[in-house]
Amino acid sequence: MVAQENVIEIRNLSKVYRDFWGRKKVQAVKSLSLDVKRGEVFGLLGPNGSGKTTTIKMLLGLLFPTSGEIRILGRNAADVQKNEKIGYLPEESYLYKFLNADETLDFYGRLFKIPARERAERADRLIKTVGLDVARRRQLKEYSKGMTRRIGLAQALINNPDLVLLDEPTSGLDPIGTREMKDLILQLRDEGKTVVLCSHQLADVQDVSDRIAVLFQGELKVLGEVEQLLELRNETEIRTGHLSDEAVDEVKAVLAKHTSENSTFQRPRADLEQLFLRTVRESGERPGRRFTAEEMAATQPTEGNNDDSAPSADADTEDNPG
Amino acid sequence: MEYELEPFNWLLAIGRWGSVTGAIALIAVAIAFVASVRLGPSGLTYFSQGLTDFIRDLLSMSPTRVLAVARLTLKEAIRRKALVVFVVFAVLLMFAGWFMTSGNNRADISVGVQIWFLLTAISWLILPAAMFLSCWSIPEDIRTRSLHTVVTKPIRRIEVVLGRIVGFGGVLAVVVIVMGFAGYIWIQRQVPANIKEQLKCRIPVYGDLIFKDRMGGLAKQGINTGDVWDYRSYIEGNTRARAIWLFNDFDENMLSDVDGDGRGDQLNLESRFESFRTIKGSADSVEQGLEAQFTLVKNVREEAFSVFGFSPEFRQFSTELLAGQFQNASTSLSEIASSITDGAEVLEPSDCKYFYEASRVAIVNMNYLGEGLDEIKDGFEDAGRAANLIKTKDDTAAFDNFSKTCARLSELLAEHSDHLLEVMPRLEVSLPNVRVTEYHKGQDQVPIDRTLTFTADYESLARFLASTITEQNEAKKLVSGESLTEDLARQLADTAGMSILNSELLVDVLQEELDAEILVAQDSMLSMANKISWINYFDQLVRSERLTSQDPEGWRLTADIYDDLVFRNTLRIEVACMNDQMFIGMARPDLFIRLPDNPFAVGYSKALLCTILMLVLVVVIGVTASTIVKGPVALFLTFGVFVIGQVFHGFMSDILAGQIESSGMISSGVLILQQRNPMAGVDVSRQTQNIIESADNVSTSLLYGASRVIPDFGLYSQSAKYVENGFDVPWSTSMLPAILTFFGFLIPCVLLGAAFLKFRELEAK
Repeated sequence: MVAQENVIEIRNLSKVYRDFWGRKKVQAVKSLSLDVKRGEVFGLLGPNGSGKTTTIKMLLGLLFPTSGEIRILGRNAADVQKNEKIGYLPEESYLYKFLNADETLDFYGRLFKIPARERAERADRLIKTVGLDVARRRQLKEYSKGMTRRIGLAQALINNPDLVLLDEPTSGLDPIGTREMKDLILQLRDEGKTVVLCSHQLADVQDVSDRIAVLFQGELKVLGEVEQLLELRNETEIRTGHLSDEAVDEVKAVLAKHTSENSTFQRPRADLEQLFLRTVRESGERPGRRFTAEEMAATQPTEGNNDDSAPSADADTEDNPG
Repeated sequence: MEYELEPFNWLLAIGRWGSVTGAIALIAVAIAFVASVRLGPSGLTYFSQGLTDFIRDLLSMSPTRVLAVARLTLKEAIRRKALVVFVVFAVLLMFAGWFMTSGNNRADISVGVQIWFLLTAISWLILPAAMFLSCWSIPEDIRTRSLHTVVTKPIRRIEVVLGRIVGFGGVLAVVVIVMGFAGYIWIQRQVPANIKEQLKCRIPVYGDLIFKDRMGGLAKQGINTGDVWDYRSYIEGNTRARAIWLFNDFDENMLSDVDGDGRGDQLNLESRFESFRTIKGSADSVEQGLEAQFTLVKNVREEAFSVFGFSPEFRQFSTELLAGQFQNASTSLSEIASSITDGAEVLEPSDCKYFYEASRVAIVNMNYLGEGLDEIKDGFEDAGRAANLIKTKDDTAAFDNFSKTCARLSELLAEHSDHLLEVMPRLEVSLPNVRVTEYHKGQDQVPIDRTLTFTADYESLARFLASTITEQNEAKKLVSGESLTEDLARQLADTAGMSILNSELLVDVLQEELDAEILVAQDSMLSMANKISWINYFDQLVRSERLTSQDPEGWRLTADIYDDLVFRNTLRIEVACMNDQMFIGMARPDLFIRLPDNPFAVGYSKALLCTILMLVLVVVIGVTASTIVKGPVALFLTFGVFVIGQVFHGFMSDILAGQIESSGMISSGVLILQQRNPMAGVDVSRQTQNIIESADNVSTSLLYGASRVIPDFGLYSQSAKYVENGFDVPWSTSMLPAILTFFGFLIPCVLLGAAFLKFRELEAK
């Protein structure tokens, strides 16, 4: 990935929440400085109250900085014009519950002054992309939480934005939805868009982010590329096909010549997400069948194999209304 | 009718609006500046950036986004079942008929009650919906954070505010229109067929009202009989007291076209006087009421010269001018001029001041009398100017100059007396008496034909005969050889419309004059031996009673209302009470010219439009309040503003205009505490009193501020009153103020709401 131009520049950003009388309640962000480069997926991590959402809201102009400077897409954060090229998915999908999916996207499309025909085409495409085609005529108040997140994502993309800000994008999504969301984030990156996401789901962030920043109590603690930050420089991992006990002994002997440290040998394990996705896919192909642990273990893909195509997200439409 | 009918001065209103709005904007900017200065140098940057952004937002406002929010609002209102108000309205209409059968036997009141019910039901049913919707929408959007998703799109805060207002306004307008349509059908079915003509929209043209007292002197007010205090003034019966209505800007189009030939041929007056009896009399006489007489008056001389009479020294001069005795007036003026020259101190500077003012009035009026008066106008101009130069009684040079100009004017008056008499007529046409009862039972319509027949007085008869003879003379129809034309009496009766008895009398008199060689017949024309004007000649004949009517009905002449009775576009109607020791009371709206009615639907639609404007104005205030405070507070605020604007605005204005006596808020409190009455005043030291007065001045200023920033909602309910009373809603006194007031509040409220929403943190915790 080649990332050069800064899409977001934050310099010495601070935010103090005050009470009605102007007395300081809490300092949510302290002297934060960081840049987000064009075309990267940037993860903003931190525990609750670390200032992630406050930072995002200051980027969007929903909150005013106490001090410091923000430049976003070359403009001031208070400049409404910048929103032309920004898509924002809030922490919860704050949408009008009395509208249906079509009306929701039509309304937000109008705010971008997208011509009627193009608006309808985009809305149709996005509704299909997020898997809400069969529920498009239902009012949002009848949607489950996952469906609401999906339509929230669709509205964030209605303007084909250059910069997408996702606040807890996988919150409330089932594993399939989570996977789709992650795939979509990577797809956006491949299209050259910049994605900033903040989440508590560290695995999700790890899966998609190019760079991350970790905030704690409003301060920036870690900033860097994911690959570099997670690399264990004092260990080496070798992965190969199945080996017999004899072959293992031979490898151990060879390793003993080169290192004095103990080496561990074990079978690699898939994660639960992969198991879930495989189960759903197999269930679709062979309905009525119950799978044993052995069967599933035998059919586990190797780690890093991403050829699992997730079953249709339409399954989510059968959720109970949230 | 008890509502204000003064024309609305929209230029003054716009000027006042500009100053108040500008002052509020300056205060807001000043507060923002002071607040930003507290943040140090960066604060100033925020201030300038904020101001620039705000102005840029205004300039780059997009109707597309405003309409998008408006559409959203419309859907919200529909899907949240705000329109359930229709059901309540329908139920009301279904059952209202049970309770609307009025016991009153007056058709106009019965219909008025039904219209009142309909318009009140529409506005008061929708009002709560307007308040709740507008006050709750934005706070609810902020609470549920739906607004966050919206404002992170390229939408300006002003577009959000305006979109909400347009949306709610659209919803309410649709609701009012649908209800109004249903109500119109309801009222058409509800009103019995026999009184359906009461569903009308009269269009009145009001005049200015002045009075004459019992001695004939002009007065602003009549007599106060203690009945309906301050509203109606009374004139005394069988005296020279008159109520005089001046219908300025009278137009030929104000005459109704009854026969459909495109030319107005009837003047419709409508009156609603009150009688006041000093002697109760029998039940029958009370029932019969009093008699009022309407007289249409064109008195050019009075218009032009009455002001001279304000000075005691020129009163004689004025009286002679008013009587058309210009030769006598010339003599009077000449005598005054001579006495000044002789050094007699007959005039005060104040007399000269009156003369100056009177000269200007005379010139202005003479400008309407055609050509041939330039010399005499110059004479008045010179004399008036000379009079105006007199500032002290010792200024002999100025007095001498005035004396010379008066002498010159005197000569001119004598020289032009015939022409002046000709062009400055006084014509009075009295109409048959009308009855005025106590507790005026409905309106009295007085239709007057355009062409009026009346019994001539001396002047009008002389004027008529002079014009008839001149006309016949010019046509060479009077004289045949050296004697009067044979069968002249029949000819005059046919062509000039006089009765045969009177035309025979006229011919006899003319023959006598010929025989006496006062008249000469030659060259087929009749002329005078001593060359005086025909009008003077006939004036002398009439006054010598040689032409006293032989017809029992008297000399019956005709006059055209527009051609003969209007001067300077003004129609003057005088009303007299004909009963001895009785009084008739009247106020300005009690007599009006009734133009052809508009259909009921016209006034009804205007009242509905005013209702829509009122409801949208409530929405404007509600939405503005909701941008800064939470829903319940916004609702409370909006309700408060509405109640004050609807009920107390007039009261506030009256206090500020000094029409209601008040001793100030603090003073009143002290008076109550001290249990003293307002006449006695507060019992405190001088110093304390000063403090109280200062505090009262502050409270009065606050009251002034409140009266300027709280809309007068009474303007909107006023339109319904017109329709209830069977009048059209006038543009100039009702619709225009209502519309301008609406926009006057809409613009600053939208700006204020946008500023509140822009400069507040939506996510503030």
